[in-house]
Amino acid sequence: MWYKIIQIIEWFGDMADRYKLIRDFNNSAKNYFISGKAGTLLEAKITWGDSAYRHAFSKFMGSGFRIKALSGKYMARYELIEIGNIILNNEILVRKLISLGWDTLEVQDNHGALGCKWALKEYANIGGFLNN
Amino acid sequence: MRYILLLQQIDTLRISKTEFVTKSYSIWLWLSIIEFILIAILFYLLYNKRKKLAFSDLSEANLKESKNTDIDMDNIMNSIIKSRELYKELSSVCHPDRFVNTSKEKIANDIFQEISKNKRDYKELSLLKERAIKELDLIFLITIKRQNYKISDIYRLST
Repeated sequence: MWYKIIQIIEWFGDMADRYKLIRDFNNSAKNYFISGKAGTLLEAKITWGDSAYRHAFSKFMGSGFRIKALSGKYMARYELIEIGNIILNNEILVRKLISLGWDTLEVQDNHGALGCKWALKEYANIGGFLNN
Repeated sequence: MRYILLLQQIDTLRISKTEFVTKSYSIWLWLSIIEFILIAILFYLLYNKRKKLAFSDLSEANLKESKNTDIDMDNIMNSIIKSRELYKELSSVCHPDRFVNTSKEKIANDIFQEISKNKRDYKELSLLKERAIKELDLIFLITIKRQNYKISDIYRLST
């Protein structure tokens, strides 16, 4: 019984952590855009994700982590891929994303609905994951 | 007589009504049982499907540490904006071919490997830049590069 209550409390804690991560990213991106360091304003948000990329910790609705360019200069395809690769190369961030229930990373330009997406489970470094 | 007949009719109506109520009760009972079984089957299938997914062998406790780690968002933004340029600069300046047959060849090799490994991490690249300045004496080279000299000039001066 107590275990279930702890699980429920943890679930709410996870949700808070998810929104904190999104808020931190958005604040940082906003500051860089306002100060002129970044040419494009990026925004992170939660999406449905891809069901083909699911793993055991995926959230039911909202397993996609989307980074979208909101305004500023147009982004070429290689730039979208570069942003995705920077996120995926950061092993700590990928592990955190997985543990908080995300399974899909999406990067989208501000024009059209086309973008790039990756399965986070392929970049988690399972061996290291188990040891930690 | 009529009154008796009427009473009898009312009685039969009552009986049929109670029969109908008990029948309807039994239908709802069966329906709820079927629903319960269906829900149990769906939960079982969901549990089995979850078992087959990636990371199903990991428990929540394994993830606790990952959940509590702090992410340096400024580093991520810097990496998105500047890491590409810094990597290009460092990989060209610290390339081991520039230090062939010198005492710094091994250090240059190490630094170049680290640069390639952390090509998308701005923080690490900045640290490597400092290391390269210290260990490969690249202060002079980098200042020259800022003054738009050619790489060949840098090479000549360094040797």
